Amino acid sequence: MAMSDTTPAPRASARAASGFRLDWRTIVLVLLVLGLAYQVVIPFVMIIWTSLKTVRPGDPEFLSLTVTFANYARAFGSSGFWAATWNTLSFATASTLAAFIVGAFIAWVVERTDTPLAKLIGMILIGRIIIPGILITISWILIASPNIGILNQFINQMFGVRNFFNIYTFWGMVWVQSIEMVPLTYLLLSASFQAMDPRLEEASTMTGAGNWRTLRRISLPLALPAALAALMLLFVTSIETFEVPLLMGGRAGIRVFSTEIFFNTSRTPIDWGLSATYSVAMLSVCIALLFVYFRLLRHGERYQTVTGKDFRPRRIELGRWKYLTSALALLIVFIITGIPLLMMIYVSLLGFYQAPSWAAVQSMSLDNYRTLFSSASAMMPMLNSTILGIATATAVVLVVSLIAYFVHKTQIRGRKLLDYLAFAPIAIPSVILGSTFLWFYLLVPVPVIGTLTIIGLAYLTKYLPFALRFVSNSMMQIHPELDEAAQVAGVPWWRNFFKVTLPLLKPGLLAAWFWVMVHAYRELTVALMLARSENRTAAVLIFDFWDRGSFMQISAFGVLMFSLLLVLVLISHWIGKRYGIQDQH
Amino acid sequence: MIRVEGLRKTFQSKNETVHAIRDVSFEVGSGEIVTLLGPSGCGKTTTLRCIAGLEKPTGGKIAIGDRHVVDVEAGAFIPPHRRDLGMVFQSYAIWPHMNVIENVAYALEGRGLSKADMRQQAMKALDTVQMAHLADRPAPRLSGGQQQRVAIARALVGHPQALLFDEPLSNLDAKLRNEMRKELRRLQQQIGLTSVYVTHDQSEALAISDWVILMKDGAIVEKGRPTDIYRRPRSVFTAQFIGTTNLIPGRLESRDGSQVAVATSHGRLVGVEPTGALEVGAKVQVSVRPEAMHAGAAAGPNVNSLSGALELAVFAGSAVEAEVRANGEKILCLLDYDADRTAGHDISLHFSSDDTLVLADA
Repeated sequence: MAMSDTTPAPRASARAASGFRLDWRTIVLVLLVLGLAYQVVIPFVMIIWTSLKTVRPGDPEFLSLTVTFANYARAFGSSGFWAATWNTLSFATASTLAAFIVGAFIAWVVERTDTPLAKLIGMILIGRIIIPGILITISWILIASPNIGILNQFINQMFGVRNFFNIYTFWGMVWVQSIEMVPLTYLLLSASFQAMDPRLEEASTMTGAGNWRTLRRISLPLALPAALAALMLLFVTSIETFEVPLLMGGRAGIRVFSTEIFFNTSRTPIDWGLSATYSVAMLSVCIALLFVYFRLLRHGERYQTVTGKDFRPRRIELGRWKYLTSALALLIVFIITGIPLLMMIYVSLLGFYQAPSWAAVQSMSLDNYRTLFSSASAMMPMLNSTILGIATATAVVLVVSLIAYFVHKTQIRGRKLLDYLAFAPIAIPSVILGSTFLWFYLLVPVPVIGTLTIIGLAYLTKYLPFALRFVSNSMMQIHPELDEAAQVAGVPWWRNFFKVTLPLLKPGLLAAWFWVMVHAYRELTVALMLARSENRTAAVLIFDFWDRGSFMQISAFGVLMFSLLLVLVLISHWIGKRYGIQDQH
Repeated sequence: MIRVEGLRKTFQSKNETVHAIRDVSFEVGSGEIVTLLGPSGCGKTTTLRCIAGLEKPTGGKIAIGDRHVVDVEAGAFIPPHRRDLGMVFQSYAIWPHMNVIENVAYALEGRGLSKADMRQQAMKALDTVQMAHLADRPAPRLSGGQQQRVAIARALVGHPQALLFDEPLSNLDAKLRNEMRKELRRLQQQIGLTSVYVTHDQSEALAISDWVILMKDGAIVEKGRPTDIYRRPRSVFTAQFIGTTNLIPGRLESRDGSQVAVATSHGRLVGVEPTGALEVGAKVQVSVRPEAMHAGAAAGPNVNSLSGALELAVFAGSAVEAEVRANGEKILCLLDYDADRTAGHDISLHFSSDDTLVLADA
């Protein structure tokens, strides 16, 4: 485009006006780059700098230029570090593989077979996303922990075997973590299954290849890049996961990087240097994996040779087997979505924790909810989460649409930098993001610690990359000629941005907004790292309840939390529809 | 040889039954290329996919060679991979994870050939479509036209009993399409393979086929040689769908064998009635192609004429495309490239009765 060069501007006044517009655009771009640099570069610098220091952030010595590798020597020399490395990697590998197998099965059933109720199965699985991760972990603890676990109580009553299941083990953790990641796996894989041209398989059939050779030589190799990319992303997700290791890792004796960083930062004696060293190690692993991930993704996109044709993927006719796949898939989504939900509702109605029985049913009441509603200390966090969810989503979507506009719709120098900056946080695990924001604001005299602002700032960084993907995708679909038409008509760029680009982006923006709102609302890790008494969020409160062992309150609060989230989602969906925004899904 | 008999296909959508194909029968002789032509949704692609075995018909039979591949009443269905066919898809369906020669050689797998034999035969097929020099190029780095050629080589390489083409040229640009059209015709004549070709492009159908089958709403409207179907369409739909034509409404006045006279607003027009089924007094449409109209007055027993005012003339290189307003009707005609193009001047047109077709009013 390079507007000042190519736009025909025969009159001097038009030329002057175009020069002026360019200036404003540059100013906005510079402000964006600076803002992003502040939000994104600082965490990286803070981690590395702190890992090279033996004093805490805020200490005058912290800012001096002398560095030391003492922390690294201490970490690499300790058996704890290598145990955590082993635990992190083995836990992540096992969870990734389990989640992948289950998620791939469901994606296959829903997208590529004629299984009955496929749509419903997919919907139930996606619906799981509004249940906070910490509640899922807790409900599985309530089901299968020794002594109190409902399943163990049943087995004890029926067969007289005590504590048949123990969730506080490596495999218990893997079970919960993989269940937590199945919806993500499904989302990643179903998209790539849908993108697959059925003609590629039909072409193989027409050459005389049977189903087996077509599967082995055509379908599987074509799905491979997408599958590897999904595996990578799942692996990164399970390396940085926090809820499961936090609640279960202690009793299971499985300490991973994320919990080590958390405990070294938030429990006395605070060990800043060691924590930062673990962070550097974790960050390096994540960056390496994400590098591979993006390579694979590019590889995968190259595979889509012909696009733009509308096609539905070929569905395999399973015959009578389809009832089996349907039943199996329904059972899996019930375990993933239904069980945590039912557990929470059940426990929230109890006076004290017990296995389901007639006596338990008789003792049910709404007392737990009454207690919650009358307690300001319980309602405050709920309000905080709502504010954070809505504010973060709005801010992120605004910033991201500006970034996407500059990156995809202008030729201004420096726009690529924006793209990289906005994408970098995807490598920062939440636990590290939380601690760096804390350390940084201990250093600088900006009084945000203990407020919602600091959590909101950290969320802004955390959710940028994800929202950018949604918005970039729809931005790329807007033909540059639409923008050029406005330029030729002499419309200023900012008016064009608000009047043409933004409305066309609505579906992408809406998807991004929902995604960020739901995730910021239920987020635990960053909020916990930055929590003081006034800025606790709903998820943090659940963790506090957990520390105190009040299961009934947790459950009642959890039910309230996802009810509220459901209402929020429905209201914003309704607003979106009312204003003529068409949903992409 | 392919024989399709009484083919039917219905789809069950939410609350209605969609008849994609209703009772379609035709034959493709050995070494012939037959085109299924029609607007989108006419059932031509579904018919092709039934022959391929990618769709199961709800009624009828299909025989390839001397073997019934589908016979719904007898419950016989041979799956697509055992039908010994080659198929070229609209999207080419070139496998992106293989290079050019791997794409072609894949079609020879499972025949107990050695690697070297497979490669040699694949090279031969690539040579036929002039792609041998790109044998080792990765598939995603091919242009549309090149993918097209690879797709043809892949369909040819196993020497199938018949070739199926599903709108193979529709994704190419106009110039390349013209080239490939001729090349396909040349290739088909050279190899002599029995082929079924689906397209919605009438000029492609005319150029490429031995027989054209025109379809509409899941049924065959007309079949014939390309020249006949163009020069002697038997229905208004055919006349309009294939090429451009002028339609002048009128009433059948008299008949003398296939020669008929029609009363129209331009006076009495003499023409040919191809079906022989129309009766005197019937409402008809007189169809005359623009290129059959010649400027200037002329008279004679077998010459029709009309006159009007030139409304619009567009220079199109080899000819002038003109619109003449005659008795309130718009008549399209082709004039010589050096014709007077000033709008408004009076113009007379004449056309032979042989080029004047009298068709039942639709």
